[in-house]
Amino acid sequence: MAHHMISLLVNGQKEKLLVPSNLTLLHVLRDMLGLTGTKNGCEAGECGACTVLLDGEPVNSCMVLAPELDGREVITVEGLAKDGQLTPLQEAFAELSAVQCGYCTPGMLMSATALLRRKPHPTQQDVQEALVGNLCRCTGYQRIIDAVMVASRTGGAE
Amino acid sequence: MQEFDYLRPRNVAELKENLSQPGARILAGGTDIIPQLRRGKSAPKILVDTSGIRSLRFIEDQGDRVVIGAMTTHQEIAESQLVSDLNPALRIAAESVGSTQTRCRGTLGGNIANASPAADTLPPLLVYEASVLIQNLSGEREVPLESLVIGPGQTALEEGEFIHSISFRPLTGRWGSHFIKVGKRKGMAISVVNAAATVVLDKKGSVSKARVALGAVGPVVIRCRETESSLCGKVPDRKVFEKAGEQAREEVRPITDIRSTEEYRLHAAGVIVARVLEAAAEQARGRMG
Repeated sequence: MAHHMISLLVNGQKEKLLVPSNLTLLHVLRDMLGLTGTKNGCEAGECGACTVLLDGEPVNSCMVLAPELDGREVITVEGLAKDGQLTPLQEAFAELSAVQCGYCTPGMLMSATALLRRKPHPTQQDVQEALVGNLCRCTGYQRIIDAVMVASRTGGAE
Repeated sequence: MQEFDYLRPRNVAELKENLSQPGARILAGGTDIIPQLRRGKSAPKILVDTSGIRSLRFIEDQGDRVVIGAMTTHQEIAESQLVSDLNPALRIAAESVGSTQTRCRGTLGGNIANASPAADTLPPLLVYEASVLIQNLSGEREVPLESLVIGPGQTALEEGEFIHSISFRPLTGRWGSHFIKVGKRKGMAISVVNAAATVVLDKKGSVSKARVALGAVGPVVIRCRETESSLCGKVPDRKVFEKAGEQAREEVRPITDIRSTEEYRLHAAGVIVARVLEAAAEQARGRMG
């Protein structure tokens, strides 16, 4: 089995790893780097629980192969808060109780972060469309959508 | 996931070399092949990752043709002003693929090579009579998209060949194009049936040319040629388009599968053909000749 040496930036930190061809980014994060904030839901690109930012774009990390990561930049949910300071988006999720079991939350935060960076003042429909690939089985979505709308007024993704 | 080797060419010349090895298969956006690898449905010896080849990722207006590189993502197509201006049906289709996460990875070339009967970008390309530039180590050939996709998951691509780019001629005069998809829900849905149409009107407002393509109602995306010719010379109104919808039902062969039934698909196909034609004609009417 071929292994590949890859260098990448994860949450601003340089990582050099030896990875097999058939490992996914999801497992690089969770099993090799201990970044378990990124959740494993369906492993089929359907649920969005494993969403991270790859070179700034939201992707399902279960659908990216580890050797593809050489020279790329990954941001996970652990990379959002800086020096213990939550982003306005994270604050809004907490404030509005946009979390129930919490399993979908990291993915929701990453998709919403990508949206707010691309479009700082989205409409409710923009938010709904941006979160189409993130399934939540308990909150009912409304509070999540509300939290993203609130964050767009209180400072956005950063 | 099964084992395979992985290569990452930096340019087209390296890609041609890599792909000429036996058992090599392209990894474009991975949104179809990675689930296939997980389920053991595909067993390549070598995956050739084309994501590092910048020269395959572009959208260009080359005067008489619009050319789109095979590695252009659905998200890039959905956000392209050029595509929106010259093939609105394709923009809408690209925007309706999966989720943002899928669109940021999935590519136009991948959507074609995967050859799903339900592929969303195929109907808008077929109604523009798009052609595909195919290359390999020994040269290149250009083929109509319609003859490239030959069955579910099957293309006429030979071993060692890859899709370089897709091109189509923009419409002129009073034209319109549109795309409609029916799925289980608005987001993340694979089409139960989808349709694209173009309509060109003459000076008097009659149809001078119409193109209709339907997806997920046959082994490949189907151009409805009888429907197209029946529209020629007609003054477009709802009745004419409803009749075209009925005609289109005669030209498709839907099946029952996990996503829908034969009966529903047949019914919905007629309905969306009428709607997609009406929207395209409306656009054409609003355009100065």
